[in-house]
Amino acid sequence: MPDLPWGRAPYPVLVADVHGAVVRCNDAAGLLLPAAAPGTPLTDVAPDWLCAAHTALSLPGPHAVPDTEGPLRGVIGGRCFEAHPTIRKDGSVAWWLVDDTDHQLVREALCMERGRTAFLAKASNVLLSSLNLARCMDVTAQMAAESLADAALAIAPARGQRLPVVTCLRGGAPVLSTLTVDPDDVPGLGEALRGFPPVPSRWIDPATAPAWMVPEGFGPVGSIVITPLPGHGVPAGALILLRRTENAAFRDEEEVFARLFAARAGAAMSAARLYAEQSTITDVLMRELLPPVLHHISGVDFAGRYRPSADHERIGGDFYDVHPAAVEGEASLVSLGDVCGKGLEAAVLTGKIRNTLHALLPMADDHQRMLGLLNTALLSSHHTRFATLVLASAVRRGNVVDLKLTSGGHPSPLIIRADGTVEEADTHGTLIGAIPNISSHTASASLAPGESCVLYTDGITEAKGGPMGDALFGEERLKRALSDCAGMPAEGIVEHIQMLAAQWLGNRPHDDMAVVVISAPRTHHLSAVNGHTRGRFTA
Amino acid sequence: MSTSTPPRLPRTGDTEQTAELLWKAVSAADEYAATELVLRLLDEGTDPESVLLDVIAQVQGRVGEEWAANRISVAQEHAATAINERAVTAVSTHSAARTAVTRGRITVACVDGEWHGLPARLLAEVLKLRGWQVDYLGAQVPTPHLIGHLHSTRADVVALSSSIATRLPTAHAAITACQAVGVPVLVGGAAFGPEGRYAKLLGADAWAPDARTAAGHLAQERLPRPASDHQRFDDLPHLGDQEYTMVARNSATLVRSVLTGLEDAFPAMRAYSELQRERTAQDLAHIVDFLATALYLDDEDLFTRFIAWTAQILVARGVPARSLPPALDLLDRELKDFPRAVRILRAGTHTLTTAPFTAAGNIA
Amino acid sequence: MTTHPHLRLTTVDAQDSVRIEAHGDLDHDSAGLLLREVTDQLSARPAMTDLHLLCAALGTVDSMGLSALLMIGRRTAAAGVRLHLDDRPAKLDRLLRLTGTLDHLTAPPLTPR
Repeated sequence: MPDLPWGRAPYPVLVADVHGAVVRCNDAAGLLLPAAAPGTPLTDVAPDWLCAAHTALSLPGPHAVPDTEGPLRGVIGGRCFEAHPTIRKDGSVAWWLVDDTDHQLVREALCMERGRTAFLAKASNVLLSSLNLARCMDVTAQMAAESLADAALAIAPARGQRLPVVTCLRGGAPVLSTLTVDPDDVPGLGEALRGFPPVPSRWIDPATAPAWMVPEGFGPVGSIVITPLPGHGVPAGALILLRRTENAAFRDEEEVFARLFAARAGAAMSAARLYAEQSTITDVLMRELLPPVLHHISGVDFAGRYRPSADHERIGGDFYDVHPAAVEGEASLVSLGDVCGKGLEAAVLTGKIRNTLHALLPMADDHQRMLGLLNTALLSSHHTRFATLVLASAVRRGNVVDLKLTSGGHPSPLIIRADGTVEEADTHGTLIGAIPNISSHTASASLAPGESCVLYTDGITEAKGGPMGDALFGEERLKRALSDCAGMPAEGIVEHIQMLAAQWLGNRPHDDMAVVVISAPRTHHLSAVNGHTRGRFTA
Repeated sequence: MSTSTPPRLPRTGDTEQTAELLWKAVSAADEYAATELVLRLLDEGTDPESVLLDVIAQVQGRVGEEWAANRISVAQEHAATAINERAVTAVSTHSAARTAVTRGRITVACVDGEWHGLPARLLAEVLKLRGWQVDYLGAQVPTPHLIGHLHSTRADVVALSSSIATRLPTAHAAITACQAVGVPVLVGGAAFGPEGRYAKLLGADAWAPDARTAAGHLAQERLPRPASDHQRFDDLPHLGDQEYTMVARNSATLVRSVLTGLEDAFPAMRAYSELQRERTAQDLAHIVDFLATALYLDDEDLFTRFIAWTAQILVARGVPARSLPPALDLLDRELKDFPRAVRILRAGTHTLTTAPFTAAGNIA
Repeated sequence: MTTHPHLRLTTVDAQDSVRIEAHGDLDHDSAGLLLREVTDQLSARPAMTDLHLLCAALGTVDSMGLSALLMIGRRTAAAGVRLHLDDRPAKLDRLLRLTGTLDHLTAPPLTPR
């Protein structure tokens, strides 16, 4: 049809009339639809989607093409086409066919790539947010089961004989179990968990998979692949992906994708393991430096509370201890103090002081001697880092608690009497660890039932804040607060003082703050209850 | 001190009378009577959960009411709470409270700055009784400690408690931090407002009005892992106007200028002792704190509720509440360039002028 | 003159004595500065007999500040130099008294060189 202007157009063009018969077509259309000779019914030569569109569009007489959302699309001979109609005067339609196949492929690839990128970004996000190994394993298994397989197992390197495994079915919740199995019994798993030498993903025959690997209710397994999780110098674990028979095979790009995911999961799991190891080490080292939990000893109530200067730390330069007497009836020894400096360095020095005092316990009744020996032990020619501290010996005699109090350069203990009077113990002395010759004066006091003695560090009195932000909490305010605490249990006083100081501070920075309270319990009846006593009332 | 035979226990199940007995022991600061009472209840077969919630929690609620009505001091409140704590310890160590772990792991903590640890402690004990593995971190937990704990344990949920509304900005930070490490958060406590309305606003995964409801809720459904892309700012877009930041950061300056302004308006205040002056300043600081919190949440009701309560307390203390409107007025003048703050302050003034306060401590 | 955000030192020296005037806080951050200044002066002036530390303008002295004063006391004693803490504010005196260091720092025993 050389007379047609579009006869040699590069796009296939086909004209069909209102009766659904082919009128003519150009060369390109002839190549695409070889049967399309004029007069042939369109239904014999063109695919159904095009015929249906033609029937809907071709009416007798001139009319306009109704607006549609985007071009009509369909497949002809295995390729993808857009069909653009123009309606002629007689109602016949010229169909311009535009091959869209490559465009479509690119679009699909882009969409899939976007999906994967989003998935990997989400994986990184979720994995990076946790430093907990178990939670990382949960996320790994769940995300893998969501996008890579019908079920996934995240396995961490064995601890002894036990293998931690998190299993997750698509759409389900991750389940942790600890299995006593030998990973070397599964081909590829042992190597993957050792993390060295580097091994690729490995397919195993589903028939040989051990029972623990297949989640309950999974059904017949089509394929199993074991992917090592690359760690940072430490083995991070392995990821096992299971697919059902119907979509068993992994395409190449799916394998690449699985590897990218495994790299992220491995990095997160090995970071979590390192963090866990580090925090275990810190915990072990710190255990000795943490302030002890205080309680009732030999008829005397003790309570203590410590707040380090930095909220992210648990230790600092204040310390306290209560050592029960070796012999019943003798005094317990309380120490509370403050070393100069802050943070870990200060905390290490508190550890040294606490250990030394512990070793000196046999002479606990002689405060001067204890302080003298402690001073000698701490003196150093290199520095003048010192500590100030208070020693208190407390022993119950009848209903009364007798106290001996000695300050080594530390604020004097305060005694709360039953009537709310607050007295300062008359003790003073030299700080410890900086001057060769020290001296101190010991005070004696007795606590009647319900009375208390408060030892504190200057972090409390030097807390700077208040409603106008610039005042020190100070001794006067502390004494006033304590005078409201007459008759209160030791824990109540400690908590009350720490709360007042904290509220005084608001969000302002502060020094370490420690408070210890020694109380003579309020007297109480020793009568048997319901005919039996539990020995609770031997105080 | 009484040496007579202790009063007969009411029949098992009559928790109201038992609560009355415990209240007597607690308000007399008699910890031995208190612990003995709960131990006897358990010995006689009362359900430990009922002892915790129907007896101890009831009494603690009464302690709170007495404090709020200014009938006991903060120190007395602490004394009573310390004794209630010991009663809880007595329950938790009794053989009847021994329970095997059958459920997941949960971390229970109070927001930083929250000193009322008992409600969280009660929840922790109830959850233990219901078969949870519980890590109770206590009152006043700095957020970095809480997160450190979550990194080293496999907690399924965090239960976070706060009773004071001014801790809500801190609570918000804690909630988002927990969610960011992948752990959902259930919140509770008076701070979260009527029907827990602030819980939702601050993005908590769940809210419960009391320990029993919390335990029921947690038993019913596993809270899903929070979405990873949640940004704290998305919850509260109004923070973009910086009003909260400005008021919170300059609270000391605001208190100082309002105090000076009040002294000019009420020359009698110049004769105040240092202690009286400090108390007034503290009251003002509270007002500024609540204003800042109301700005944070963009909720003027929070402020008006606080103002109404303050007016009652002042009346109960025998201080006429007439210094409140001028204080709000002076703040209004200081903050005239902050439209949200002005709106909230005026709502406060409106509350004071429309509801007269009587010495009985109630809104007449 | 040596400066620091919280502490400013002005040193005036005569034949056999050195006066250091300290303005500001002697604390965790700034204590090292004073100690260095004193140490430098001691080594630069072997003929020095007296070191005057003018304390009138001292603000907060914390435990690290006190530690620095103790070290200064130790070094001056070792060098045979008399240390004088002049014009002490009441707050500093209170700290020295509380920690039992007042006598030690204000009347240090002179050890022969």
